[in-house]
Amino acid sequence: MFGFSVRIERCQPASTTLSIVIILSAMTIGLFSAAALFVFKGFSPLTIVSKILTGAFGSRFAWMETIAKAVPLGLVGIGLAVAFRGKFWNIGAEGQILLGAVAASGIALFAAPHLPDKAVLPMMLTAGFAAGAIWGVIPALLRTRFGVNEVVSTLMMNYVAAELVQYLVYGPWKGASQMGFPYSDEFVSSAVLPTFYGTRVAWPMLVIVIVAAFVTWFLITCTRWGFETRVIGENPEAARYAGISHARVTIILMIISGGLAGLAGVGEVSCIHQHLTTSAAISSGYGNTGIIVAMLGRLHPIGVLPAAIFLGGLLVGGDVLQTSFGMPFASVNLFTAVILLLLITGDVFLDHRFRIRRDCPASSTAVIAPSDSTCGGKMRN
Amino acid sequence: MRDRNSAISFVFVFTFIFVTAFTSVFAQENPTVAATASNQVIVKKIKAGFIYVGPVADFGWSYAHEQSRKALVASFPWLESAIVESVAESDCARVIDRLIVEEKCDVVFTTSFGYMNDTLKAAARYPDKSFLHCSGFKRAKNLGTYFAELYQLYYLNGLMAGALTKSGKIGYVAAHPTPEIVRHINALAIGLREVNPRARIDIKWLYSWYDPAKAREAAESLITEGCDVLAFTEDSPAVVQVGQEHTAKGKPVYTFSHYSPMQKYGEDSCVSGQLVDWNGLYEGILLQMYAGVWKADDRWWMLKEGAAKLGASPDQCINPKFVEPLKKAEIQDPVLGKVSVYDLIFKRVSQMSEPGVLFDPFTGPLKDQAGKERLKPGERADQNALWTIDWFIDNVDGTLPR
Repeated sequence: MFGFSVRIERCQPASTTLSIVIILSAMTIGLFSAAALFVFKGFSPLTIVSKILTGAFGSRFAWMETIAKAVPLGLVGIGLAVAFRGKFWNIGAEGQILLGAVAASGIALFAAPHLPDKAVLPMMLTAGFAAGAIWGVIPALLRTRFGVNEVVSTLMMNYVAAELVQYLVYGPWKGASQMGFPYSDEFVSSAVLPTFYGTRVAWPMLVIVIVAAFVTWFLITCTRWGFETRVIGENPEAARYAGISHARVTIILMIISGGLAGLAGVGEVSCIHQHLTTSAAISSGYGNTGIIVAMLGRLHPIGVLPAAIFLGGLLVGGDVLQTSFGMPFASVNLFTAVILLLLITGDVFLDHRFRIRRDCPASSTAVIAPSDSTCGGKMRN
Repeated sequence: MRDRNSAISFVFVFTFIFVTAFTSVFAQENPTVAATASNQVIVKKIKAGFIYVGPVADFGWSYAHEQSRKALVASFPWLESAIVESVAESDCARVIDRLIVEEKCDVVFTTSFGYMNDTLKAAARYPDKSFLHCSGFKRAKNLGTYFAELYQLYYLNGLMAGALTKSGKIGYVAAHPTPEIVRHINALAIGLREVNPRARIDIKWLYSWYDPAKAREAAESLITEGCDVLAFTEDSPAVVQVGQEHTAKGKPVYTFSHYSPMQKYGEDSCVSGQLVDWNGLYEGILLQMYAGVWKADDRWWMLKEGAAKLGASPDQCINPKFVEPLKKAEIQDPVLGKVSVYDLIFKRVSQMSEPGVLFDPFTGPLKDQAGKERLKPGERADQNALWTIDWFIDNVDGTLPR
């Protein structure tokens, strides 16, 4: 119709340089094109972008708040990266976070007074990991035993977990000291994670997320299980022929994935809230944002860490749009949405090439650009 | 594949070097701005930060606070403000810090119960700033609490509901099972029983302060169960709209607006409602701060103080379409004798507006659902009892989740 037709073809993955260029330009274009919308409100895009970035990374306070958000996002993201590598689409991190929070709260509320102070936090972390892992293993079993689609089962189990939390905070665990509001009693001090002075960053959680990233990276690259996960992820048929036990691999996968989300839940109740509260307040959408973090980090446990900081920063820096410019909360979402959309769109350029073709019946083979030997700049053989 | 993944990790590292460099350049700007400002003549100003739990366009809780803020900023030249909406409970501490440290607010209003502990901690962290927490019970030297209480109006709505219902079934769409809402439902039940002793209240819980879709669903199901009057606590006009739809189809469903003037969403269905007016509370607090005489205290304002008003539109207490039926409905009151419900309502309004509050709905004898006597004859519930109320009056059918 326009004289040209565009054909998209799959090709070899692009070079390192090109992927850097693509991600950087997607981020820059995303930030500025979202900011450009605020020209209508009378703000220059440059001011907006610099304010957001200053709000997220411009001071020690901002950095600490960004990290406080990046910790749960990172834990969830690492777990999801592992699951997605094995092509197990775990949409249930929200529920796994909540179960971790519930288990840790149970220990904090009922066992902590009877335990030595030093044992409380390790117990809470262990229980949180275990509870998240159990919640994650259930859909894994359903999938491997009965062929239940894990997207549906993990998603549905989020609602079950949320209802469980609501039941507890409105019912048996409702705190006598909370004047009838839906919160459990405040945790005793031995059940509260220590933080860097004057911040909301619990240093044990920061250590855990970094260790978790390196340990899962090691597991994926250097163990037999990691190899099997990759084989299942790349080619399930080949994995079956090679005699890899799909069930065993998937269950270990979900123990890690659910367990890490559970740990994120422990961090939230034990550091941020210091009591069990309503389900939406605990998970704060980290289970869903974690999916984006895992994708941005290219399913690489180490890559997830900067991705979590970036998204944490965007959420934290977004405050400034409201406090300094008086813009509505929705504008914060606009930023995250535009940037993520562009980042994900940018992916296409990594392993696809675009061929523009002139619609000319007489000489239908005329290829305008790029030539056959290029694939997004460089061809690998 | 591995090569590519590690490459992408580098991308992020690069990006963050870029980002940090970028921000540190822009962060330099601030000191120069501050220097020019300090050269000007010093006029006392107060900057107030407002933290809202919902969007300010919710037409409910946050909207009402925002209306007062706008009015005050317009009338006091010395008042500046900053707002942050849709703040999750877990983000409150950060937003307070930002308002104090970056926006240099002198006072921060946190307008949701869930912000209580973070506000208390912030008050300890910034002892020379003032804090006000709406709907909470924890106070400090620089942390006061305030609340506009509506139960007296729910009682008045209950009187009207009793006169208008034909099925004798009143539906209540309730946000969360918290004492505030239990208090509202009980007040409605007390008014209802006064006019219509056999009518009963049924409850549907939403477990959300703002969820128009769920509220609509709950309202529809209450109507299906036979309710022809609906009252609610939720921050959208969804219930009024449902009532209007049914009324327009020929099946009258009477509704009571909540919090904001919602009569325009249901001209034929919306009878009256509860209107809140935070202006007086905010004005009093800010004027005292400006004069340097504010002390952290608890302000629990109702009809008498003008923080709560009867009605569903700014200029009418009762939708004129329902004035006639309310005048026709008559009851026998032990004190007032034979009186129309319309007259009774305005008698109660004037009694409750008296400085000494001559009438309170929560006056004994009151029995709970199990038949246990909660208030002895003539006894009035004190603020503490109302603040923690966790039982229903005997003409309520719903249960509190336990």
